[in-house]
Amino acid sequence: MMCRQVRQELIACWGSTDELEAAAVEHLRVCEACRIEAALLRETRVLLHSLPAEHAPSGLTKRVVARIADEQQPAGWWSRLAAWFVPEGSPAWARATAVGVAIALAAVGGTVLYHGTTSPGPDQAIIATTVAGGAQLAIGQQEIEDLMVRHQTLELTQPLADDPGVHLVMYTSY
Amino acid sequence: MAKGTALQQAEIERLVERAKRGDQHAFGRLVEEYKDKIYSYVSRMLGDPYEAEDVTQEAFLRAYRSLPRFRGAASFHTWLYRIASNLAIDVVRRRRRSDNVSYSLDEPLETDDGEYDREIADDTRGPEEASGTRETQVAVRRAIMDLPGKLRDVMVLYELQGETYEDIAQILAVPLGTVKSRLFNARNQLKERLKSLVAAGEIEVEQ
Repeated sequence: MMCRQVRQELIACWGSTDELEAAAVEHLRVCEACRIEAALLRETRVLLHSLPAEHAPSGLTKRVVARIADEQQPAGWWSRLAAWFVPEGSPAWARATAVGVAIALAAVGGTVLYHGTTSPGPDQAIIATTVAGGAQLAIGQQEIEDLMVRHQTLELTQPLADDPGVHLVMYTSY
Repeated sequence: MAKGTALQQAEIERLVERAKRGDQHAFGRLVEEYKDKIYSYVSRMLGDPYEAEDVTQEAFLRAYRSLPRFRGAASFHTWLYRIASNLAIDVVRRRRRSDNVSYSLDEPLETDDGEYDREIADDTRGPEEASGTRETQVAVRRAIMDLPGKLRDVMVLYELQGETYEDIAQILAVPLGTVKSRLFNARNQLKERLKSLVAAGEIEVEQ
């Protein structure tokens, strides 16, 4: 058996001759260099396993659990809102900016929606109901004149959902 | 019984399930159960107790956050090792990068608290460290740290942590054959390093 083969076997069994093939054992008997290799491997293993056990520093469990509890504190509205726009752990300035932009967008969007799709107010509802589907037959001239005055007043203060001209035509043609 | 742990495997599984539902006490018991294993592994990988403590803490925190995604395909301790291993590798990579940054030893060290003169560690041994056992342990630790990271990982997990080939393959996400060949190379390289220490008279070998 060659030294190279024997040394490979020695590494696999940490230099122990107990697990070696008979040919390798025979080689060791006559080869001093390989015997030294075997001894070195055995010693390496002993040294490795003689290293003292290492223990985690005291209080590590407490610190881990405390950090988990800290992370699981219910977040305030500010943090929850910021979490929609920026990843967790982002710097405070990024979270503040995100919340500011969100509030500004909400304000602009709300204003646009209010003016764009405002449903009829109580006065407008009266007119719309009155002119719808033949109900106008039940009201007299005086009432129509009152409605027209109210309509014009409304038109000045806020635009109606439907075309006010249409209503005026209907009122006057009655 | 789970390897190297005092709790029964069934109890560990129950604790994992409870921790998944947000039971911090249950997770605390798991930390208590595995902290020494994870810490000693990371410490032997990094060779620095302070960094090892930070990495161990971070590994448990990440494990807690990731618990909902833990399906139990691997054992809990293997999964935990894997998280710790990835974090330890990150630290080693950061070190490698910072080692490439050169600076003048005359320049003061800038910190948040101001500037300080750089201090260089004194590697010469004091009389209290001249005792054979301590000196030998330091030499062995240094020899382990000198191994390439991939070999050191397998060496530490198999020889010092007592993990099986199969578990190491799962932890490191490599085939079983790779674990065995890395271990073979690690043993050989460690032996060569210790041989040079023997030649220098720092370690004696009995034939």
